[in-house]
Amino acid sequence: MLITLTGAAFVFLLSALGVFVPLILIAGRAKGARRLAIALILTASSAGGLVAVSGVLRQPAPLLDLSLVTPFSFSLAVDRLSAFFLLLVCAVAVPVTIFAVPYFDLHYSEQRRHWTWAFFSLFLLSMIVVVTASTGFAFLAGWELMTLVSAALILIEGDSPERRHNVFIYLLMMHVGAAAVAACFFLFLPYSHSLDFGAIRAASAAMPGGIRAAVFLSAFVGFGAKAGLIPLHLWLPRAHPIAPSPVSALMSGVMLKTAVYGFVRFGFDFLAGGPWWSGYLVLLAGAVSGLLGVLYAIAEHDLKRFLAYHSVENIGIIFLGLGTSLLFLAHHAALWAALALIAALLHTLNHALFKSLLFLGAGAVSHATHTVDLEELGGLQRRMPVTGTAFLIGCCSIAGLPLLNGFISEWLIFRSFLAGSSLTGTKAQIILPLMVGILALIGGLAAACFVKTFGAAFLGRPRSSGAEHAQEAPLGMGVGLWLLGAACVCIGIFPGVVLRPLVSLVQVLVPGAGVPEETLSIARVIPWIAAIVLGASGVVALLRSRKRITRTWACGLPELSSRMQYTSTAFSKPIRFVFAQVYRPDRKVERLPADQPYFPVSISYRSVRTTSYERALYRPFVELVVSLAHQVRRLQTGNIQVYLLYIFLALVSLLTLLRFQR
Amino acid sequence: MKITADILQALILILGAPLVRGIIARLKARLQRRRGASIWRPYAEIFKLLRKEDLVPPTSSAVFRLAPILLFGSTVCVAAFVPVLHASALLGSRGDFFLLVYLLAFGRFFLSLGALDGGSAFGGMGASREALVSSLAEAPFLLGLVAVAILASRADIAGMVEWTLQQNIFNISAVHILAFTSLAMVTLAETGRMPVDNPTTHLELTMIHEGMVLEYSGPSLALIEWASAIKFHGMLALLIALFCPWGMASGSSGWEVAVALLVYCAKAAVLMILLSVIESAVAKLRMYLVPDFLGVASAVSALAVIFTTLAKR
Repeated sequence: MLITLTGAAFVFLLSALGVFVPLILIAGRAKGARRLAIALILTASSAGGLVAVSGVLRQPAPLLDLSLVTPFSFSLAVDRLSAFFLLLVCAVAVPVTIFAVPYFDLHYSEQRRHWTWAFFSLFLLSMIVVVTASTGFAFLAGWELMTLVSAALILIEGDSPERRHNVFIYLLMMHVGAAAVAACFFLFLPYSHSLDFGAIRAASAAMPGGIRAAVFLSAFVGFGAKAGLIPLHLWLPRAHPIAPSPVSALMSGVMLKTAVYGFVRFGFDFLAGGPWWSGYLVLLAGAVSGLLGVLYAIAEHDLKRFLAYHSVENIGIIFLGLGTSLLFLAHHAALWAALALIAALLHTLNHALFKSLLFLGAGAVSHATHTVDLEELGGLQRRMPVTGTAFLIGCCSIAGLPLLNGFISEWLIFRSFLAGSSLTGTKAQIILPLMVGILALIGGLAAACFVKTFGAAFLGRPRSSGAEHAQEAPLGMGVGLWLLGAACVCIGIFPGVVLRPLVSLVQVLVPGAGVPEETLSIARVIPWIAAIVLGASGVVALLRSRKRITRTWACGLPELSSRMQYTSTAFSKPIRFVFAQVYRPDRKVERLPADQPYFPVSISYRSVRTTSYERALYRPFVELVVSLAHQVRRLQTGNIQVYLLYIFLALVSLLTLLRFQR
Repeated sequence: MKITADILQALILILGAPLVRGIIARLKARLQRRRGASIWRPYAEIFKLLRKEDLVPPTSSAVFRLAPILLFGSTVCVAAFVPVLHASALLGSRGDFFLLVYLLAFGRFFLSLGALDGGSAFGGMGASREALVSSLAEAPFLLGLVAVAILASRADIAGMVEWTLQQNIFNISAVHILAFTSLAMVTLAETGRMPVDNPTTHLELTMIHEGMVLEYSGPSLALIEWASAIKFHGMLALLIALFCPWGMASGSSGWEVAVALLVYCAKAAVLMILLSVIESAVAKLRMYLVPDFLGVASAVSALAVIFTTLAKR
């Protein structure tokens, strides 16, 4: 089986990323070793892309069985769903690697660079193992490796106490999620007697409803924590911004998508739709994540944290699509279920492309200006037009504007909501069309967010000397950015390229679904719209040629200064004012000296946002765990006789237990 | 012949747009007992601006000059969606209303960026306020259209109009009244009319659209003004097409189209009179009351969607 070309490419991919690259980097200290390693990563990712493309086009057989060398059954296979996600990983990995070459060279010492690249390669490997695993053991091993390696990559950037605290929260929440994911697999075990995906799939139909619901819920919690659904997203805005930019791009662009993969694998492939309420649950989680994610994002002025909150928002949109699909499945409307699932999967791919583009753009900005604080940027479009234009493409895509890829998937989700009106149940008939309003609100706010961000960072006047003296990013960074930007534009104008393979993928997951008419009609109409918009713009662009550069009137002052511009905080103020209930900041105004309130020497103002779920959800839980730990500590007396007593008691109780079992 | 009518109605929407503005300005002047300028003045203004040179701030980037062009291009594309003379349009059956709404968002996105690129306080002020209004207006806009689409079981605008044409004019459901109310409110907000925005003001406390375009001059300003006129005309035509399409040409012979054009002018005139009365009678809302105004529109449109389940039975 391994003789086939794709098989060989796949084995090369795994061995290169998993064995050769780390070995070369750890053994060789020379510059040539690193170049060789980077070249290997790039060829391996491209080979992975080839495997994925051939996997998407036809239904292939299992590829690789390593059960002989591992204690549990461990095998990898590329079916259509895996192939799609493998394509996603590789398509993002190539540009990110190209971007990372100059980025790591300029940011790290020689010693650290080797380790960073070694972990980078392992990180890619872990994600590839997760999406191609075909046994539970392989999946969980990849899942765990992914968490640990990404934590290592965050710690390589530096190790302040705050960073360690954030990494701790990240690891903690990931392991709670991993426990839930492991529970999903083990719940299948009594019925399937094996963790092989084929056996699980075969067994799931015969399982009692209660167990199926438990599997669904635990998959929802486990993958929801990894995906960053509110309220399980707590780690996301902490961990993503502090990683090096190429790693942030991989974490936000690709790692979150492995959770979507897991949820689709369980919810659609294994369970073939959850219980009747599952669709409503997922829709609710998606709507809450989407809305709160975008509202928290608009209040941020740290570019990377802003992008991290937008990941929460976009995961919300993906889950809106998945929830709709589950709801249609529960109503036995296979065609519409397929449409919603296509929309969700396409948005997954789109988000991977534009979010990694934006994170790389943030990396280029921080490289050029040494800051990612929007209050200190400005005017970068003039200084770094290559980066700026690519970033603008990313902004338009994520804001869901037509002619770019984000719009296509949002449009498909809108249409599947609209199709909900044709269902028979009144509840679904009302709720689904109303979700159009929710998604429209999310979309409108996201557009406002990205006007704010692009405007504050790239337009107007520079707000600091760092921004004023910014230089264009090195060639490698520009190439990485533009590869992703070009992919966004291509899918945006010719969506048929990805929609056709997606339709055949979804027909495997949703049996009995035809080809949704919407996927054909959008592919037909978008090129026309692009032609009209660009044609009309081209004609009027010819109309005007004369321009004169002149100073703006400054209301009588000698010159406008950058302090007169609207800042990002000022821009978002009206929206924050309207949604004040969501933020509820703790404000503190201090006047000094305290005995002269009317003639203060200095006034300090502080505003801290402690989010309401943090107060209501996490604190009681943390307090409970701490108090439990205090109780448990009583067992630890430090007295050796007591410990001997514990051992004796354990022995006696086990023996009694065995006696009664016979 | 059908395609000729399609192109003709797109041209009516694009070329007639400044006239709509002129007529409303004249009507408002009359209501305020002024004589008012000629109804052709917006054309003269656009021609005057097109002949001038573009003044560009020294700190701005290419986005500043690109924004009006893309705004104009996308708004022209919107004009190809709306049926005026018969129940069809260039993109009326291929594209749906989601595309229309998002093409408007496309233009607005770039206009806001252009405003921020000017580098002065006014651009940011206008863009920030526009962001608030437009992000809240999108939901009622789409929900109102969704309600009509559910009744018609079609998502393309031409199909929705066709369905409405087959209905009895006296058989108006509550859904239509609610959807019309919300869409009319959204039209006021989206096109920057009273009581949401004052199109005649240049006072920094009140202006939204005017704040955004303050740094623009010459051909760029002409394109922006023309595009916003097209958007306004397109929204009015959309309201007419969705809620009162009766009188559109069913065939495509010359005289049928001519009659349809006359009927359209009459309906547009009624709507314009109504609008100028509203604009003269109502005071502008305080900035932070605008979300309440749009909240009402959202609630009304949500009700329209909910009532469709009753209306379909």
